[in-house]
Amino acid sequence: MPEEENSDLVSLTIDGVEVQVSEDSTVIEAAEKAGVVVPHYCYHPGIPTRPAQCRVCLVEVEGQDKLQPSCKLPVQDGMEVHTDSDDAELARKSVIEFLLVNHPLDCPICDAAGQCMLQDYAFETGQLQSRLNEEKLVMGRDRIADDILYFADRCIICTRCVRFMREVAQDDSLVVAQRGDRAYIDTFPDEDLDNPFQGNIVDVCPVGALVHEDYLFKARAWDMDKTPSICPGCSNGCNVTLDTKENQIVRLKPRYNGEVNSYWMCDYGRKHLVMGNRGVRTEVPLVRQGGELEPMDWSDALAAVGERLGGIEGGSAVVSPDACNESLHYFRRLLDTLGVPADAGSYRVEQGEEHTLPGFPKLTLREDRAANGTGADLFGFRRVESWPEPEPGAPLFVLQETLREAPESYAEDASFFLYLGSHLSPAARRADAVLPVTTFAEMAGTFTNHEGRVQRFQKALQPPGIARPAWMVLSGLLARSGDGSPVLDAADAFGEMTDERPEMAVLNWGRVGLKGQTLDSGAGAEAGAGAR
Amino acid sequence: MSDEVELHPAVAGAQPYMRAETQGENSAPEDAPLFDDGAGRERLEKVLSRYPTRRAALLPLLNYAQERNGWVSRPAMKEIAGELDLTPAYVHSVATFYTMYNQRPVGKYLIQVCTNISCDLCGGEEVLERFLEETGTRPGETSEDGLYTVMEVECLGACGFATVVQVNDEYYEDVTPERVPEILDELD
Repeated sequence: MPEEENSDLVSLTIDGVEVQVSEDSTVIEAAEKAGVVVPHYCYHPGIPTRPAQCRVCLVEVEGQDKLQPSCKLPVQDGMEVHTDSDDAELARKSVIEFLLVNHPLDCPICDAAGQCMLQDYAFETGQLQSRLNEEKLVMGRDRIADDILYFADRCIICTRCVRFMREVAQDDSLVVAQRGDRAYIDTFPDEDLDNPFQGNIVDVCPVGALVHEDYLFKARAWDMDKTPSICPGCSNGCNVTLDTKENQIVRLKPRYNGEVNSYWMCDYGRKHLVMGNRGVRTEVPLVRQGGELEPMDWSDALAAVGERLGGIEGGSAVVSPDACNESLHYFRRLLDTLGVPADAGSYRVEQGEEHTLPGFPKLTLREDRAANGTGADLFGFRRVESWPEPEPGAPLFVLQETLREAPESYAEDASFFLYLGSHLSPAARRADAVLPVTTFAEMAGTFTNHEGRVQRFQKALQPPGIARPAWMVLSGLLARSGDGSPVLDAADAFGEMTDERPEMAVLNWGRVGLKGQTLDSGAGAEAGAGAR
Repeated sequence: MSDEVELHPAVAGAQPYMRAETQGENSAPEDAPLFDDGAGRERLEKVLSRYPTRRAALLPLLNYAQERNGWVSRPAMKEIAGELDLTPAYVHSVATFYTMYNQRPVGKYLIQVCTNISCDLCGGEEVLERFLEETGTRPGETSEDGLYTVMEVECLGACGFATVVQVNDEYYEDVTPERVPEILDELD
């Protein structure tokens, strides 16, 4: 939607509700502001062109003889729009009847059922019996990309996918082939789409024509829980929704944030997380006793670890750039308490190829393939290409870094090795104490993205066993030595962090909200602090 | 009009595109490049000189591909896309939008029978049936000897002479089922 401060306001009424919108808005945007839903298919706020071809958003405007497509119709001062007049409703009903002429009505086996705009609006028209006697055209299905299938029968040729590829991804390799009732979406024959952002065509599809093969028949829309989160795939920090079912992440959907990712996300991020469902997890605290790692409950484990830490001075540390700000904060505090030198903490970020979405360049799959490298910097950890071998005979502290790529002999000679992690790699099994912590999907917290935007993610999954967020474990450990009290709530952890860190003082849990807040968002002095 | 009128180079050669004699048995192999030889190059330059943008030359070049091969093949679409800075997918989209671009190879004689309203009232369906019978094909299919492809088409714009049949670039008017064998004989 156009920025309102840049232009003059006009006021109009939509179904009797008066709204004020900028003069370069369209009627459908004004209706949204008035809280009136105008059904639409071809219009998508993130796709620039408005072909007005689906004809579902027709509205009646007083003083105009013909119904007008509200997606394309500019607002005028004093306009009186009716979306619910007899003419408008009849037109909508007729258009939807036509859209269903060749539609297979296979909702019971369609992935889009429950989140389908055709299903919703067809149901709303109330015409539940077809008046059609002709046989339906059968078009079949096609593979559009290595993981995207196209069900031509369900397609209503709204061309959102074609226009996303052409205008936003700026990759003109998805087209409408043939014409009329034989029209379908196609790539060049025998060539699949190959674009790092192509997954978005599934999201923009208002019906079940484009589906991810990965998600095919996996879940019904209404069986999934949806949790606002942040994609941990790279340092861009795209806002996403985690769709979960039976304590597993089923899929990721982009969540609108005009400052970060608009309506989109990349395919790397989309696929990255499904792996999160796999791997052996740490479920209970394990403390080495007599050479063996023994399972314990939290209070025994923290007591045992606290006791061992009592005699320790110095050492080195490794953190994961996927650890959240709060965990990094308490970890840094613990290291300070133990006298670990400030420059003895390091982190390593996996690197990958950069890809920018041409139609919204702020959405870039960054080279840094981790969510919180900026956060690790902020808390004074040093970025390295490979972890320095810990000094023989000195203690080693690891936060969430799996050490999967560490050399086999890594940390062999550590005098004491504390590992807080969610997965057990061969190197991690060498620890003297393993404290099981949650992944970002199993906890609440914040990440700092590449431009210093601090963004919140919420808890979507139940952690395995008795794993806890690292900030909770670390604050508990600190409290044992009389340093503060255990923190049980992410908001409190965030509060303590921002109180103690001047460069984060500008942040506020509520203001971070669902859209994030940048570290330089405060007036004046703090501007730019911490942001790389 | 006098023969002396000199045509602007941009319009010279702008005669209606003829279906070349190279169709059918003489047609070039479908993967022979369109613009490698002198004739292809010349046509390309001429077409490009007529339009302000390269994209605009798409239809004339698809016409040329069909002139040469009798249909628009995938390699041809890719070649045209390359010349015009378009994606092959876009060319595919345009080529399939227009039903008169053949998506498959056609026989030496492309027989298009009009079954639109006027022709149909005058027996267009029967004419179509007879053509299919005589050539032993189904609509759109090419006969085994590679000679005939029979298609049902919409109005050919000669309703005063229904039923109208177009064979390659020739019109046959007032066609009745009885005349069909005669027309086929004439072709060979």
